Amino acid sequence: MTRKSGHTANWAPSRRAFLTGAAGAALTTSAATALPGAARAAGDPAITEIKDWNRYLGEGVDAAPYGAPSPFEAHVVRRDVPWLTADPVSSVNFTPLHELDGIITPNGLCFERHHAGVATIDPAEHRLMINGLVDTPLVFTMQDLQRFPRENRLYFLECAANTGMEWRGAQLNGCQFTHGMVHCVVYTGVPLKLLLDEAGLKASGTWLLAEGADAAAMTRSIPLEKALDDCLVAFKMNGEALRPEQGYPLRLVVPGWEGNMWVKWLRRLEIGDAPYAQREETSKYTDLLDDGTARRHTFVMDVKSVITSPSPQAPVTHGKGPLVITGLAWSGNGRISRVDVSLDGGRNWQTARLDGPSLSKALHRFYLDIDWDGSELLLQSRAIDEAGYVQPSKDALRAARGVNSIYHNNGIQTWQVRADGVVENVEVS
Amino acid sequence: MLKFPKDLAIAATFAAAAILGQPIGQAVAADPEAGAKVYNKCKACHAVGEGAKNRVGPHLNGVFGRTAGSLEDYKYSKAMREAGEEGLVWDDATLGEYLAGPRAIIKGTKMAFAGLKKEEDVANLLAWLRRESGGADAAADEEPQAEEAEPAAAPEQPDAKPQAEDSQAASEAYTPPADAAPHGTYNLGRRATEEEVAAWNIDIRPDGKGLPPGRGTVSAGETIYTEQCASCHGVFGEGAGRWPVLAGGFGTLDDQRPVKTVGSYWPYLSTVYDYVRRAMPFGDARSLSDDDVYAVTAFLLYLNDVVTDEDFELSHENFTQYRLPNEPNFKADDRASEAHYADRSEPCMTECKPGPVTVEMRAAVLDVTPDAENGEQMGSGAVD
Repeated sequence: MTRKSGHTANWAPSRRAFLTGAAGAALTTSAATALPGAARAAGDPAITEIKDWNRYLGEGVDAAPYGAPSPFEAHVVRRDVPWLTADPVSSVNFTPLHELDGIITPNGLCFERHHAGVATIDPAEHRLMINGLVDTPLVFTMQDLQRFPRENRLYFLECAANTGMEWRGAQLNGCQFTHGMVHCVVYTGVPLKLLLDEAGLKASGTWLLAEGADAAAMTRSIPLEKALDDCLVAFKMNGEALRPEQGYPLRLVVPGWEGNMWVKWLRRLEIGDAPYAQREETSKYTDLLDDGTARRHTFVMDVKSVITSPSPQAPVTHGKGPLVITGLAWSGNGRISRVDVSLDGGRNWQTARLDGPSLSKALHRFYLDIDWDGSELLLQSRAIDEAGYVQPSKDALRAARGVNSIYHNNGIQTWQVRADGVVENVEVS
Repeated sequence: MLKFPKDLAIAATFAAAAILGQPIGQAVAADPEAGAKVYNKCKACHAVGEGAKNRVGPHLNGVFGRTAGSLEDYKYSKAMREAGEEGLVWDDATLGEYLAGPRAIIKGTKMAFAGLKKEEDVANLLAWLRRESGGADAAADEEPQAEEAEPAAAPEQPDAKPQAEDSQAASEAYTPPADAAPHGTYNLGRRATEEEVAAWNIDIRPDGKGLPPGRGTVSAGETIYTEQCASCHGVFGEGAGRWPVLAGGFGTLDDQRPVKTVGSYWPYLSTVYDYVRRAMPFGDARSLSDDDVYAVTAFLLYLNDVVTDEDFELSHENFTQYRLPNEPNFKADDRASEAHYADRSEPCMTECKPGPVTVEMRAAVLDVTPDAENGEQMGSGAVD
C-alpha cells in the first residue's frame, strides 16, 4: 500500500500521510483514544497524565493582538496549483473546503485570484468615480461611502473557472483543488442602486462598467438591470475590513454571478448604452463549445454541490460505523431547495439534511449521517435550486458543450471511498 | 565569434564604467526605495527575495558575485553561458552596464528588455537589488545611509505617472471644487472634474467609442513589441511558458486543443487597444503612449495576418474598419436550453443506472495534485 515514502508536507491528515501510516503521528490528540489493549487497561494518558496546559500558565491576553488559529490547524491554508498559471502574480489559490464546516468562510481562507498581484491601497487615497450616462459625474471618498445607508448580506462568490481543470476528466485529488474557488462571507456595503441614484441615471443607460485600481485595471461590463437589483459596493467582509487580496478597501458584490465580475479595489463605475467588450469578457470568461462557437455573457453561476468530507484530502480514518458525510451546495439562481446524496455512483439517491441558514445565493451546508459498513462507496451529491434546476452530470455537460469550455463546470463530482478509508477523485460509468 | 575573449574583453567592455570614475552603482547617491519602483519593470520576469524561483528570467538571489549564466536550473541563452565561461561575474559595474543596454553588452541574450536609460535608475535599482538579493557580498556593499536617506514613501497611486506633474502632490492637499448645485438624495460625494474623468475613463468599445487621437505603424509596433512584449509573448506572439499566445491558432477552435489568440478567438480589435493601454506591459501598466498602443495593436494585426503591409498605420480614423475574423462566432448565453436544464422535472431517485457503477478514470493516475512529491508534474487546463 505504501507507494512513496517521505514526509507529508503539512497536510494533516493527508491522503498520503494516511497511506504511509503517518496519520497516527499527526493526530496525536486522537491517537490515544484509538489505542487498544494495555493502554486502555491503564487508562487513557490523555486523562491519566497531567498535561502541560493543565499545569502551567498560558499566554496573556495580548500575546496575539490579532488572533490566529491554533498551531495544530497550521495545515488549514489556501493552496495553489503551480502548473496552472504562468506566474503567481496573475494566478489563483484555493479555499480548503475539506477542513471547513458551516457556511461562512474565514477571511484568511477565501481563495485568491488576481490579474496583476494584490494592490496595496491607502484608503485615504482611494476614490470611487461614477461617470458616463449620469446627470452628475461623482467622486466619493471612503468616508463619503460610509455615510450612505448600508446593508449586510451573505453571498457565495465562485470563480467561473472553478472545477475548470476537470472538464477532460478526474485530474486533481482534493475538493480544495477541484472546487475550492468558492467562498461565502457576510458583506457590509452600500446598495449600488443608492450610489447610482445619487449620480442620477440617464434613461439611455443599459450597461455598467466596473473598474479596479490594480495594475490590471480589471474591468467587467454588467447589465444595469443587475446593478440596480442586488449589487453592493462593499467595504467589510465578515465584519472586518476587506482583506487586501479581496479588494481592500472596496469591492463590487454581484450576487450569484461569476466571481470575475466582483471587481476588487473598485475605483470606477461607468454607465453606458452597450457592453464594453473588455478582455475579461471576450478573450476570457467566454465558453468555447465543441463546434468552435463560444457563448458570451454567461454570468450566472449554475446550481452546484460537492461533498467536502470525506474527500481525497479528508479520508475516513475511523473505520466503519457512524460516518458524517457533509458538503456544500449553492446556486446563482437563489436558494438551494434540496441536495441528494448517492453512495453508489449515482444509481440510487437519498435526500440529505440541509442545516443552518438557507439564504439566496449563499452556500448551503448539507449532511448525510450514515452507518458505514466499511465497503467501497462512490459518493456523489446533486443539488436542486429553487428555480428547479438540477445539477447535471459531467457527462451531460460534456455532451452539450465538449471539454474546452474551461468555465461553468458544475457537474456532479464522484469520490471513491475505499474500504481502507482512502478517498480518490474518480469518474464513473 | 566570441563575445567575451577572457578577462581582457570584460575589462574593455566595462571600461565605460571606469571612465565615469566609479562603478555605475555608486556614481550617485543610490536610493533603494526608488530602486524598488524601477524593479517594477523587471518583476514580471525576475523574482528576488525569500523563496524566489526562476520565471521567464532567472531568479536574482545572490546575483552579486554570481558568474553570468551559472544557475543550474535556468536555461540561459548560449551567449549568456559563454559570457560566464569567459569570466563575466555580476557586480555593480558589470550589472550596471548590462542593465543600461542588455543586448549591447551580451549580443544574443534572451532578455528582451531595452535597457534603463537613466543612470539614476540603474544606480537605484542596483542599490535595491543589493539589499534584496542577499548573497555573499550584499551585506558588505550596503550603504548604511541609504536606508535613512528617505523614509518609506506612502504608497503611490498607480495612475500618478501619466497624469500631470502637479497631481503627484499629496491628495490631502487637493481642494475639490465647490459644487454649484446639490445632487441626489444625500448630496454625498462631489462632482468629478472633466480632467479627473479623462484620467480614468480610458475604456474603448467595439464601436470605437473612447479611442484617443493617435496613430502607429506595424514597424513601429514591432520595435516596441520586441523590447517590451516578446519576453513573455514570444517574438512572433507564440507565447513563452504559460504566458498568453497572441498570434496564430486559426482553425483550431473546434480541435481537441484549441489555441485561442487575438487572431483566432478575440472578437474585437478594440479589446486589444483597451487592454494593452490599461494593463500592459505586465508590471509597468500605463507606460505606453497612445501612439505606442496604436503601433502595438497594428503589429498584432500584422502577426495575425489581418494586415500584411509593414507600412500599415493604424489610427483613430481607420480603427473601426478592421474586424477580427472570429467575431461572428460568439453567441448569447443559451445554457437554459441544454437538455439537462430544459427538463426541470423531478430527478430519478432509485435504480437510475442499469447495473453496478464502475470507476472509469482516476485522478491518481495523472498524479498532478500539488504536494511535496510531484513538483514537476503538469496537468492540463487553465483558469483563464
